[in-house]
Amino acid sequence: MTVAVDALPVPRRVDDDRTAFTRQVLALSKRSILAIYRQPALVAPSLIFPLFFAALGASSFDRATALPGFPQVDSFLSFSLAGSITQGVLFGSAPTSRVGILIGRLAGAAVFGAFQALFFTLVLMPFGVSVEAGVVGLMVIVLAGAATGMAIGGFTAAMALKTGSSEAVQGSFPLLFIALFFSSAFFPRETMQGVYQTIANVNPVSHLVEGLRGLVIDGLTWGNVAKAVLVPVGIGVFSIALAMRTLAGRLAAR
Amino acid sequence: MTATSPSPAGSTVSFDSASAPGGTLVRSSRGLALRGLRSIVRLPSAFLPAMMMPIVQAIAFSGTFFAITKIPGFPTDRSINWYLPLACCMGSGFSGVGMGFSTVRDLESGFFDRLRMAPSPPLSLILGPLLACWLRVMIVISTVLVVGFSFGARLTDGALGLVALYVAGLGVSTIAAGWGLGLAYVFGDMRAAALMQLTLFNALFLTNAQTPLFIMTGWLHEIARVNPFTNVLRLSRQGFLGEVTWGDTWGGLAAIVGLSAVTLWFARRGLDRLGD
Repeated sequence: MTVAVDALPVPRRVDDDRTAFTRQVLALSKRSILAIYRQPALVAPSLIFPLFFAALGASSFDRATALPGFPQVDSFLSFSLAGSITQGVLFGSAPTSRVGILIGRLAGAAVFGAFQALFFTLVLMPFGVSVEAGVVGLMVIVLAGAATGMAIGGFTAAMALKTGSSEAVQGSFPLLFIALFFSSAFFPRETMQGVYQTIANVNPVSHLVEGLRGLVIDGLTWGNVAKAVLVPVGIGVFSIALAMRTLAGRLAAR
Repeated sequence: MTATSPSPAGSTVSFDSASAPGGTLVRSSRGLALRGLRSIVRLPSAFLPAMMMPIVQAIAFSGTFFAITKIPGFPTDRSINWYLPLACCMGSGFSGVGMGFSTVRDLESGFFDRLRMAPSPPLSLILGPLLACWLRVMIVISTVLVVGFSFGARLTDGALGLVALYVAGLGVSTIAAGWGLGLAYVFGDMRAAALMQLTLFNALFLTNAQTPLFIMTGWLHEIARVNPFTNVLRLSRQGFLGEVTWGDTWGGLAAIVGLSAVTLWFARRGLDRLGD
């Protein structure tokens, strides 16, 4: 019988732990991003459906842009770009499962969110949509897509860790649907009434969308940048803290 | 003597062997319909989305798109009157394709082979789920209506409007059930599910679903004008937008009869080929 001396545990230093942690996170991030690339059938709907809705909206609601409460836009498509990006990222960020694992998974959601933001903008540009905030604005939109992807990924990760059920994570769709439709993603808050307007006013998705829309329609302002980036970052801090806490609870229970 | 066979959903299907060979179409269909209804209680996760989504859709759409009622010529000043029938038809359609989902589960678990070997007419394998689907649709539409009325929906032509809505909902569910069962028989696995949902979604949204035809512009107007589901939605909305007229009824009825015949034939052909 031989003893493999090389395999014996060697005392580790803190620096080694940090390096290992970074390596693990990077490896898991890469895996998560590759999973998106390797399973196009899972991500295709979150790219196709927002474009389908944008096309439907452009034909159905173009005349509505003349109504009081609508911002000055060349077409409904310009108005709907921000809603399409938010819709795609909300329905496209669904990671399913220690800290490194979680961060690695969320990195995949963030990269996909950024890709979606860029994809929707570039696809709609030949149809008359222009980003008034220019290239810098487009970079802010992509950054906001990444932050939103990570934020929503945090919620779905928390739900997955809590329930351990992919069915329950799929069941979050109606909640995201409500968050999206009770916001100004598709129509301005100024055109809503009563309780709908009250909910849309307090819904953070409204402020995120309006920041993105401001960059598309009005141009580069600190207010638009702050709303487009800080709102998803704020949601992300909360959702990732929730996911971490759920993860700690799950590990403690074992 | 009655033979009972356990199914994956935990339910049982009873076939009265006294009427063998074949049993009767009505009795076999009734047994399968009852099994479909029992699954509402035993597999609520398969039924609740078809119930909840139209409710959420009716409320969300009518709140978000409230402003379109301000466009001159819009047929109602209540946005929920426009979106409630759409939600009912959407819920009915998803109840219909839900029969396709449960058939795929039976095919994958092997339970469907037992059903095919049972001494009952093959047609009962289509008629049974269809009966269950109709009963589910009655539950879905009734529930969505109650919620809709509490959110401000109002009938403009009394009970006749409700009849038109239920007929449209049952029609959409029949078309969707035939399509769902047919795809389930052709694919035999869950690949069919995505196709069922996607096609139904497109069929219902490439219509006057969101706005009346005269408000639409461009490509959607051309498609919606010839899409038979536009007539079905027109039939469903009559009692919420004005009077129920034959002019707004016959097109919807013709679309329901024609599309149902095509999709149910597709289902029957798929079932026959399953044995080959």
